[in-house]
Amino acid sequence: MKILRILTICILAGALGRGQAIDLKHLDRLVAKASETADVTLDGSLLKLGAKFLSADDPDQAKVRKLVAGLKGIYVRTFTFENEGEYSESDVVSIRKQLESPGWSRIVGVRSKKDKENAEVYLKTDGPDGGLAIICANPKELTVVSIVGKINLDELSELGGKLGVPEMDLEKPKPSGLEKPKPPNKKDDD
Amino acid sequence: MSYLEDDLKMALQRTEPSEDFVGRVLARVKQPPPPEPGWWKRLTVLLRPPRLQWVAACIILSVVIPVSGVQYRKEQRMRAEGEKAKEQLMFAVRVAGSRLHRVRQKVLKMGRMETRL
Repeated sequence: MKILRILTICILAGALGRGQAIDLKHLDRLVAKASETADVTLDGSLLKLGAKFLSADDPDQAKVRKLVAGLKGIYVRTFTFENEGEYSESDVVSIRKQLESPGWSRIVGVRSKKDKENAEVYLKTDGPDGGLAIICANPKELTVVSIVGKINLDELSELGGKLGVPEMDLEKPKPSGLEKPKPPNKKDDD
Repeated sequence: MSYLEDDLKMALQRTEPSEDFVGRVLARVKQPPPPEPGWWKRLTVLLRPPRLQWVAACIILSVVIPVSGVQYRKEQRMRAEGEKAKEQLMFAVRVAGSRLHRVRQKVLKMGRMETRL
């Protein structure tokens, strides 16, 4: 019995060490409560198959193809709820705990009191595989993304701004009254 | 008269049938017709040289048509699975990218606010 327990721990530790996806099974219970859910599980073979069908002629699809070339799995769970408080903090905590394992590091954590939104980005940099985990939680929506493999965050973010999701208005610095508008560049006729 | 004429005469000379000839003919007529050949005999008939090509063509077609049908259905299924996987992949990248983008924008926004302060 003891040996079996040790063996199980070793297998789990090995799986985490190799950069396996984080376990999101406990979120399945939220499906019944959510008004909208999205569940994407793309492991190695399915990911390759999907990537094969991406068109090289479409610039966005070509970018996605390049982006996912080195990935071993993409797992997405999105839940939208009618009312607030339909999921508990413990649902998020159990994911966070998995991301406290060695190798993972939290690179961004944003907490917005105004939007009541909490977003965290974790990155796995050591080991041969690498990985990315995103947790976005607001009172009526919970999104968890787990990516196994090395991914270019800039490209992913850039694609996220393009693929059907409208670019959010960045607060551009307003020109102060003192600044004069620049004249258009004149061509050197000489 | 030459020997040739003698030989001809001898050869064409009328000879009476044996006494039991009529009986034998009537007995043969009364016999039932021979039985129909079995399926294996008919198959051997098909395999005779002039029909062999047709049989070979039929065998090839009977193998090729179902195999290509199965292959076609397999490819169709594979294509459907691939298209579905592609849609899922695009959706996953869209969700992951948009969330990351949102986080990034918030961080940038905070950075700007701090800079202004």
